[in-house]
Amino acid sequence: MSSLDNKVSFQINGRQVRWEGDPVRALADVLREDLELTGTKIGCRTGECGACTVLIDGQPVNSCLIPAAAAADAEIETIEHLQDQPVFQRLVEAMAQTGGVQCGFCTPGIMVTLWAWLQDRTLFGGDVTSALKNNLCRCTGYRSIISAVEQVVEAEVSGR
Amino acid sequence: METKRKSPLDFTSKLTGQTRYIHDMNLPGQLVAGIVRSPHAHARIVRLDVSRAKEVAGVKAVLTAADVPDFAYGPTRFKDWNIFARDRVLFVGDEVAAIAAESAEALERALALVEVEYEVLPAVFSASDALNDSAPLLHEETAQNRPMHIRIARGDFEEGKKKAHVVCGGHYETNRIYQGHLEPIAVLANWSEEEGLTLWAGSHIPYRARETYAAGLGLPEDRVRIVVPPIGGSFGAKYVLKVHMVAAVLTMETKRPVKIVLDRFEDMLTAHPRVPLSIDIEIGADKEGNFVYKDVVVHGDAGARIYWSPNVIATACSRPDNIYRFQSVRAEGHLCYTNNSPTTCMRGFGNAEMLFAVESVIDDVANALGMDPAELRLRNIVREGETTIHGYKLDTCQLEACIRKAKELSGWDRRDKLPPNRGLGMALANHVSGYSGIDLRFEGSTAVARLKSTGEIEIETGEIELGQGMTSTYAKIAAQALQIDESLVTVKSGDTSKHPFGIGTLASRATVIGGNAVLLASKQLAERVAALIKDQLGAEAVYADGAVEHGGKRYSLQDIAAWHRARHAGDELSVKATYRPDTELPDASFYGHPSPNYPFAAHVAEVEVDPETGRTKVVGYWAVHDSGTILNRTMAKSQVVGAVAQGIGWVLMEDLVVREGQVRNPSMMDYRMPGATDIPPVEIDFIEVPDPNGPLGAKSLGEVALDPVPGAIGNAIAHAARARGTLLPLSAEKVWRMMQDKA
Repeated sequence: MSSLDNKVSFQINGRQVRWEGDPVRALADVLREDLELTGTKIGCRTGECGACTVLIDGQPVNSCLIPAAAAADAEIETIEHLQDQPVFQRLVEAMAQTGGVQCGFCTPGIMVTLWAWLQDRTLFGGDVTSALKNNLCRCTGYRSIISAVEQVVEAEVSGR
Repeated sequence: METKRKSPLDFTSKLTGQTRYIHDMNLPGQLVAGIVRSPHAHARIVRLDVSRAKEVAGVKAVLTAADVPDFAYGPTRFKDWNIFARDRVLFVGDEVAAIAAESAEALERALALVEVEYEVLPAVFSASDALNDSAPLLHEETAQNRPMHIRIARGDFEEGKKKAHVVCGGHYETNRIYQGHLEPIAVLANWSEEEGLTLWAGSHIPYRARETYAAGLGLPEDRVRIVVPPIGGSFGAKYVLKVHMVAAVLTMETKRPVKIVLDRFEDMLTAHPRVPLSIDIEIGADKEGNFVYKDVVVHGDAGARIYWSPNVIATACSRPDNIYRFQSVRAEGHLCYTNNSPTTCMRGFGNAEMLFAVESVIDDVANALGMDPAELRLRNIVREGETTIHGYKLDTCQLEACIRKAKELSGWDRRDKLPPNRGLGMALANHVSGYSGIDLRFEGSTAVARLKSTGEIEIETGEIELGQGMTSTYAKIAAQALQIDESLVTVKSGDTSKHPFGIGTLASRATVIGGNAVLLASKQLAERVAALIKDQLGAEAVYADGAVEHGGKRYSLQDIAAWHRARHAGDELSVKATYRPDTELPDASFYGHPSPNYPFAAHVAEVEVDPETGRTKVVGYWAVHDSGTILNRTMAKSQVVGAVAQGIGWVLMEDLVVREGQVRNPSMMDYRMPGATDIPPVEIDFIEVPDPNGPLGAKSLGEVALDPVPGAIGNAIAHAARARGTLLPLSAEKVWRMMQDKA
């Protein structure tokens, strides 16, 4: 449609990807529809629910609000990329133990946020409850999610 | 990588983003569809021209009422649905036409080219106004816009009034709450001559949905198949939906798969929120504090057509009465059509709404009598072994223990010594574990237990997992009956062409009604296994803990499966069993014993109210439940906290604002739901006494956990602010005004 050069280059989940399309298309749609990375969910499209959270250069962002072009040359990580990491696995186990997941729709976004916080605990003022302020969950009431993270942190401190 | 993942409903699948909801699913040749909706609350369609929309390149179908079947249909006995509005639209968002196209761009262009000319008609927006003779009639066959009017009376009401020493009451209103499911409503539809209609739809009552849709389309039920993908939250919003029908007629027209995913704006604009109730209530007590009468009049806003609002009104008018020994009760319920978007069920289902009023008034009675509100409740509650005023038979009831424990955990005795602007409030609740009368033809549930060739067990059920943990509960029940590890059990459900019939996951049915069926089928499978072993190895061979030791050899369930298959032409050993609860269908006056058992709860909330702004913060919360034996402690606790969080949202911040029929805040930015920082630590305890009618002693939990929250927070605010809020939500502004008026 447009004669502009709409090629964008991303680093997605450790792979270099050349993508061509409308540069203002939401990154979430590009990830889900063009790259088939459907772990990133779309709940509200207003940046409130956080189901679409991905990491851009290590920072959690709402991918439904980011135009694809704005992520050009950045390093993007989605939920699909995190699951092989040991700390992520520990978080998965803790979440299952505490009941931090029910319907699961908000869960990938929450897992990305928690992962980012576990990597850098100075994020969001150092407090995990504040870290969750951009993620809505309608099922769990959050406390079990917070317990899961605390469990991971405690295990780390005690060297288990 | 080794994987033990067996189901998309497993925690691991959800935690790693592998679970596929409808939005994540696509079929080859799939079309995208959208709906032209009425911008008016009530209008006559003067002209509807879709010719220009049809010409857009990529458009495959444009349908209006003229193109689709016209049968009266609906999920309850009120058959007031149509697929598209024929000559009148009844609310903002009413479906006028729908389009299926090759691309989202073509769809957008075509939607903009549908020409509709309306003649705006007078409209009505409140239930009580709808009853006025001057109100426009929404459905001509329904006089006075009142599809349902019920009256319930029990005990000697006049005598009760005479005995009253203290009378408290008032006018209460509960708000229009959006269920707030994180996954927007969606459907994928496919039609073929051979297979008929297939709908991938997140309905947790798929069999009733199938029946409703088949009726609307004029198809036999066996030509409609509903497949339930993982559901990203519902809380009542995703039972039976018009959008499924729109996708159905589009796929039948185009012979191509059709997908519709509502965006959040459309989801909220056309949401079927909790039925707003307006309640006039009075409770009388004698000098000693015995409740001598309760009187309520309820008006419910059904919106423009009936979803499940009649059942909500009936529940509001009766269920809370079964917590207390009211000597007499009287209730009158009016369900009214208005030109608002239709309303339907949400967790708590009328009971939670009425309990907000009842529990508030009970605190007022306690104040008037100079009694401790917890003591007043203890004086009046029902007890184990009793039959309640409406006929509920309480084989178990640990409500007293719940109250005592909640008092202890919350430090209730510090109530008189709290710092200024702090308050502690208590509320009680009950619920059912499945309600007899949802489907007059069948009350039970059926399960299949199958021994697979791998030696693993597969359970099939007609009930639906929607995140509450039903599958892991059923796995636990089957594992216990078969003496094997839970990880060997897979639970499958959600395909009307494969799995046994089920009424569906509503009215807190899953654990008790469905769980009993699973237990029955699993026990029968264990018996069949035992018989097979005797046959194969002799009477002395005994099955225990998943295997048989015999003659120095060990035979696993896998071996046993092979024996059966060898004798039955490769067929797997499976058992189908139906549980029929020993309940009574409530009579016309709603008297009866409608549930196998009844859960109870006592909650205490602690709040701090900022006198400068009126803003309330819940600073502590204690929830003690009698749900019989707890089968899945982790999920049970997670559900209770989730319910408390929903209740905090309901009471303090949430309100789907509708003016002149138009939703004013249809986005998650404008409709604020609780976030992590809004939820205090919640302390939970269970008083576990096994109930004889529940599977392994269990009773239901999911809904009863929300029921007392509005009352508990409302009472805590009243205690802190020394003024009673009766109109939900108790927003900062309302509480501030309340405090100013008091001062």
